[in-house]
Amino acid sequence: MSINNKNIWELAEGYLAGSIPQDEFARLKDRLSSDTVFASEFYEATDLIRSMEDGGKQKRFGNMLREIHQEQSTKQVQKKARQIWLNPQIWRTAAVAACVAIITSTLAIWTLKPSINKNESQYNTINRAVTDLKKVQEQQQEQQKQLKIDLDKTKKPTPPPSDVKYTGTGFALSNDGYFVTAYHVIFTKEDGYGDSVYILNRDGQYFKASLVNFNADADIAILKVEKPGFKFGKGELPYTFAAAKAGLGAQIFTLGYPKDDIVYSEGYISAKNGYAGNTMQYTLELPAGHGQSGSPVIDAKGTVLGLLTAVGSPGEENTYAVGTKALIDLLHTLPDATLHLPKAARMSKMTREQQIEKMEAYTFSVKVYKNM
Amino acid sequence: MYSPTNTDQQILAALAAGERTATARIYQENYHILNGWLIKNGGSSTDAADVFQEAMVVLFGKAQDKDFKLTCSIGTYLFAISKHLWYKKLQKKGRDPVFLQDNTGHEEDETGIAYEDNINAHHEREAHYDQLNTALDQIGEPCRSLLKAFYHQDKNMQEIAADFGYTNPDNAKNQKYKCLTRLRKLFYSMQAGG
Repeated sequence: MSINNKNIWELAEGYLAGSIPQDEFARLKDRLSSDTVFASEFYEATDLIRSMEDGGKQKRFGNMLREIHQEQSTKQVQKKARQIWLNPQIWRTAAVAACVAIITSTLAIWTLKPSINKNESQYNTINRAVTDLKKVQEQQQEQQKQLKIDLDKTKKPTPPPSDVKYTGTGFALSNDGYFVTAYHVIFTKEDGYGDSVYILNRDGQYFKASLVNFNADADIAILKVEKPGFKFGKGELPYTFAAAKAGLGAQIFTLGYPKDDIVYSEGYISAKNGYAGNTMQYTLELPAGHGQSGSPVIDAKGTVLGLLTAVGSPGEENTYAVGTKALIDLLHTLPDATLHLPKAARMSKMTREQQIEKMEAYTFSVKVYKNM
Repeated sequence: MYSPTNTDQQILAALAAGERTATARIYQENYHILNGWLIKNGGSSTDAADVFQEAMVVLFGKAQDKDFKLTCSIGTYLFAISKHLWYKKLQKKGRDPVFLQDNTGHEEDETGIAYEDNINAHHEREAHYDQLNTALDQIGEPCRSLLKAFYHQDKNMQEIAADFGYTNPDNAKNQKYKCLTRLRKLFYSMQAGG
């Protein structure tokens, strides 16, 4: 049969399926390169068929996913209901069956047979629980290992054996242990307060801290290191806190702990007010990431202007910081003589490297622990 | 449970072919992780099912390309895509800015961009299929039902001939070609018209 006698759809189907005989295929190629009208029609046809096929495939896959979801969620409900009625002896038998099922189902993955083994699917939930248990064990082992390392390294109080839930950054308010971080580091809507809060300084030492006061609206929390006689650094804090709001365009930098090492970044104040016109805040042009909540925002002369609280949603590049005014207001609610903010600015004539070096002793990671 | 990457490759191939066992297995091993995470991040179980199924479709789409290889485990990929899809949803709803505390660790920026690309490609495909379906709904019967039976329900010409009352599969096939011609005209005129 010549290609002229076949309709374009038959040709397109054959072309896509790779089922056109060789001599015919050569003639088709000739015509495609010489007859542009035919070629454009032909490629339209192949495109359309391909889209119809792929679209159909994806639709069937989507339907299958919904069925699988339905199956797996009803199975779980049935299983839960049934377990209640199992007496211990039957339960033991079931446990043995589950072990067998795990091996069977592992085999099923390797061979990828498209048929579903009834027994295999019946024990899905137990299988998963075992995997989860294994994961938990691995996690615990990893934690214990980490704890041991920390213990060896610091010989200092170590964090409790529970999971680090959130991390942020904090910086000193006075040399004797008062510091500030963002309130949402220590309290979240989802998890409430953590079981305990520790700071981890640049030397790898952990110190337990407790909450002194907070302002949830401003997103500020004041905490204190519990250890008696604790000092952040050798002398008084090298920085002061701005009493008034800084102007638009002021050059700023920050130090924080998005990972275990301290990270420096710099930028400028890009708007006088913060998120949704919040007058307590600044809007900054400053790269910031997770873990940097609570980092100090410092101007060129070494004055603290505020602390980082949030970034805009992805794609909107803004970073937000709450200004020192809200912090100073919060300090005024504490009993007199609790702490005195430093009055002498000792970093105004330093180079940036010197400023950073000074700041490092007073900036640290804040870790919130909570048992899962 | 299966760490070697070649095993992941085999599972991916089975997933790309739409095999049920492999798909159900991937679903079962990964869905609950996302469900747990999403509930902590302002979502419901319904959201989790929507987001996870969409992530599975993204993976399915990518896996159609034989050259596609995962540099991470299937589970990690699905979780990352799901997270991106969820953040996009939240962004559409115009929720608050994202806080800066760190709870699970975050991927490198470059990987994040790759995930975004995968998701964007998926959305483009979806838009294309939607247009095609709009055209399909407008070509009239029996064409609409016949093409859906063949392409969406994966029926063969014999079944279709029986269902639609054609005397033999060849007649049904000729009718299918006529329907495709109508669909092509409508679809490309819709595209030309914007």
